[in-house]
Amino acid sequence: MSTAFTLPELGENVTAADVLRVMVAPGDDVQLEQAVLELETDKATVEVPSSIAGRVTEVKVKPGDKVKPGQVVFLVEAAATAPPAGGPPTVGAGEGDAPDVVPAAAGPATASPGDAARNEPVEAASAAPRVVEFVLPELGENVEGGDVTSVLVKAGSRIERDQPVIELETDKATVEVPSSVSGVIREVRVTTGRRVTVGDVVLVVETTETAPGVAPVKVQQVHAVPPPGGSDEPVAAAVEAAADGGLQQAVYGRRAPAGPDLPGMHETALEEAEGDAPRVAGGGVAGSDRAAHPPAPAAPSVRRVARELGVDIHEVKGTGAGGRISAEDVKAHVKRLMLAGGPKATATAGPAPVVLPDFSKWGAIERTPMRAVRRTTAERLSTAWTHIPHVTQFDLADITVIEGLRQQFGRRAEAAGGKLTVTAIALKVLGAALKAFPQFNASVDMSTGEIVLKQYVHVGIAVDTDRGLLVPVIRDVDRKNILQLAAELAAVSEKARAGKTTIEEMQGGCFTITNLGGIGGTHFTPIVNHPEVAILGLSRARTEPVWKDGAFVPRLMLPLSLSYDHRAIDGADGIRFLRWVAEALEQPFLLSLQG
Amino acid sequence: MHTTQLAILGGGPGGYAAAFMAADLGLSVTLIDEEANPGGVCLHRGCIPSKALLHAARLINETKQAAEWGMTFGPPAIDLDRLRGWKQGIVDRLTGGLGQLSRQRKITYLRGRGEILDPRTLVVRAAGGEQRVQFGHAILATGSSPTRVPGVSIDSPRVLDSTSALELASVPKRLLVVGGGYIGLELGTVFAALGSAVTVVEMTDGLLPGADRDLVAILARRVGAMCEAVLLNTKVSGVTEERDGLRVTFEGASIARREDVFDQVLVSVGRRPNSKIPGLERTRVKVNARGFLEVDGQRRTAEPTIFAIGDVAGEPMLAHKASAEGRLAVEVIAGRKAAFEPAAIPAVVFTDPELAWCGPTEAQARAEGRDIEVTRFPWAASGRAITLDRTDGVTKLIFDRPTGRLLGMGIVGPGAGELIAEGVLAVEMAATAEDLGLTIHPHPTLSETVMEAADAFHGTATHIFRPRKK
Repeated sequence: MSTAFTLPELGENVTAADVLRVMVAPGDDVQLEQAVLELETDKATVEVPSSIAGRVTEVKVKPGDKVKPGQVVFLVEAAATAPPAGGPPTVGAGEGDAPDVVPAAAGPATASPGDAARNEPVEAASAAPRVVEFVLPELGENVEGGDVTSVLVKAGSRIERDQPVIELETDKATVEVPSSVSGVIREVRVTTGRRVTVGDVVLVVETTETAPGVAPVKVQQVHAVPPPGGSDEPVAAAVEAAADGGLQQAVYGRRAPAGPDLPGMHETALEEAEGDAPRVAGGGVAGSDRAAHPPAPAAPSVRRVARELGVDIHEVKGTGAGGRISAEDVKAHVKRLMLAGGPKATATAGPAPVVLPDFSKWGAIERTPMRAVRRTTAERLSTAWTHIPHVTQFDLADITVIEGLRQQFGRRAEAAGGKLTVTAIALKVLGAALKAFPQFNASVDMSTGEIVLKQYVHVGIAVDTDRGLLVPVIRDVDRKNILQLAAELAAVSEKARAGKTTIEEMQGGCFTITNLGGIGGTHFTPIVNHPEVAILGLSRARTEPVWKDGAFVPRLMLPLSLSYDHRAIDGADGIRFLRWVAEALEQPFLLSLQG
Repeated sequence: MHTTQLAILGGGPGGYAAAFMAADLGLSVTLIDEEANPGGVCLHRGCIPSKALLHAARLINETKQAAEWGMTFGPPAIDLDRLRGWKQGIVDRLTGGLGQLSRQRKITYLRGRGEILDPRTLVVRAAGGEQRVQFGHAILATGSSPTRVPGVSIDSPRVLDSTSALELASVPKRLLVVGGGYIGLELGTVFAALGSAVTVVEMTDGLLPGADRDLVAILARRVGAMCEAVLLNTKVSGVTEERDGLRVTFEGASIARREDVFDQVLVSVGRRPNSKIPGLERTRVKVNARGFLEVDGQRRTAEPTIFAIGDVAGEPMLAHKASAEGRLAVEVIAGRKAAFEPAAIPAVVFTDPELAWCGPTEAQARAEGRDIEVTRFPWAASGRAITLDRTDGVTKLIFDRPTGRLLGMGIVGPGAGELIAEGVLAVEMAATAEDLGLTIHPHPTLSETVMEAADAFHGTATHIFRPRKK
């Protein structure tokens, strides 16, 4: 019996991932839980274990592919499964007890090593029954899938090509999906009420057809679903930051495909203002395919204004002669929408894309695509930078004493599996500081006008990796001692550098520490890791002359840089917090005294 | 490797308009075409040379008509070499000018054939070698070519298409024009004026399918008078070459002769998109059943880096549509929120008389069940038309009845191609009958017919008496 391994859910909000490595090949025997794929998601690299066992007959993904949960990764022939009751499989046996899948002899691995025959495991067995999967075909432009409203076939029954298999309700219409193969249904993989997307396996069919079911599938529309909302009611417009970083704008209906984010050549995916058939292409003479919508009574310049504001010109009521729409009418429409709390049309504008000069005029250049981590970093930092009014304050902490203690107890930390670093000590200090200054353990919710105060203390650590900046989070810092923190810090940093940090391990932070001291520098202005409200930067400590008790004495001074969200934190509190941290580092006893 | 922000494949009116726009917006642009200068079919072997010859044809016809006004001219002595040279001079001047404009804008012009290597790379091959071009975006503007008809477009110097007809090698005694569309009629009338006995054969039941019949009827009357014969509902089933000409067999219900011999045959049954672009299969660009590249309202193909415009991206296959699309695509690439949503694209047939329309035709509007009101102003009531001795023209306006808004316009008569521009502007601006009527038009001109046709919507046209039905 051939079974497919489909990509499992990868975690909350993870809709796609890049394939870094495929660890199986046709002919391999795969065990349960064996790692079969290495994927890079927005923030983490994950290994995907197999949930099935057997001999791999076909691998459907390759490095560089973008994959989605539910997508078929590979097929196996389950060697362990008992043969059908009728005895060993016989080619050309009667329909009832036809053998499962392609006989092993036809397996591609033996015939042609490598991946040359990956997709054609059938040549030698053209007349033999094969088990194929019927996946949900493309249903039309921008239709990604739908809800199964009824399943029209049963396992065990015979199905002919073009016979309807399921009825599917998509955003636009209810459609019957016909089969592209004929044969006997071994398995029905969908149930009524389930959502399926294009590429999902619908049926597993045993077929004797020589060619796989590649015939174009005609989707027959049963009845149109009326668009949501009345004609005067604007359909919700929404800004979506697309997973690939392209600014994608969904306005009034369909979603346009987002373009790749080529630096300097930003693409704005724009909706068709006319819902039905705005294309002149293929429509004969100009204007012939506008039956559904006569052109809106607005001058081209006014239509452009509407487009730029993200407004469907057909929704705008014109006040001029013959219902003519002026630019003022469009603006008034937007104002009304915003007052009504409806789609915030203007909010869809986003940062204006910048056209870069042609650098190649001045010398050779090379363009490389941003990797997932880089794109996410760019997006998140842009968000932080635009939304948070930043203030950065500097201070110096005298860590001469703590440095002595660090040397003294370093061994003990090593024995516990960590390293007694300044960061580990700073973590302990912050655990206490965030309890003493709750406004630093908060988030700003402008939509409700509230400050969210957190009753837990999780601190993120910025880790420099060859993939880019990652921020794993250490939980409950306030309830751990320095040795525990040191050990955990070493573990998460190691994991991040190995690219094994999971998304969950990077979520839930209240505050972030970034230590650049290992590299150098005096002070810097870190950017707050939104939605947190503050971040502490540590630079390289150095011995400086400090005036103390009437004389200069050499002290080891650690530069501290605290950036915070001025919406939540006042300047005086900022420096109070920073002084508190500096003093706690100078006088570790304070931690026990106050913390 | 040459790196560019925008590569444009095809230097026709779509491609070069896009290139110039992109350069004006500050992008680095590479324009690729096989000709020495930009211009495409339109300038090299289409709109422009045919208009030069149509101008000559009209002059010949007017000298004949002048006999009625008391001026008799002798038959023209036609120096075909000089006529051809004049036409070629126009082409060279215009394309040379485009080459200059292209250089002034610092556009890299690569002469050769482009092949797509991947969605970011093209290679341009010419006799001298090849050049790789890495691009941020590309616009495919490869245009269209004359459609060949199997069994008719046989390999013979006597069988012409629009390209070879415009080369004007000779004036045949008897010419058969296959296809009664705008190209066949324009070139057919040129050869008729130059002295050929022209037969037009059209498969459907009328010339210029797509245009309103009332307007076509006026054109057909004059074309019929100029031609030896106009055969409708007739198909050419075969062409064979003989020593003294081409033997053509016809199929059709009501034709007198099933066979005839012509000196030359011009095949002008339409154009097909040049969508067999080398390397296209290495991209996600899709080609539809009719051979056009599939694009969305922003002229994006399914490949995010690649756009397509002009004839190759869909009908109508008109130069001005291509230019508008090219400029639009560049705006989209430059990050502007733009879309191709014209309210009207004008179509013009440059025969004598000219026939032009924009917006929906009357037939279309009625078929769509729109509530319309159509007004006509016959040129017999126009002082200017009478002074030209061309009173057979008509100006027709199609209004949305409830609002009085202009939806479309159709004109037949000399200068219709110029007059239609006012209609396009009015449709785009959503002008009403009142707007057009209250706009003072110069007297005495043919443009007054637009104003008067608009006034007719309210039953108040000055020079016709047709009170509005109560």
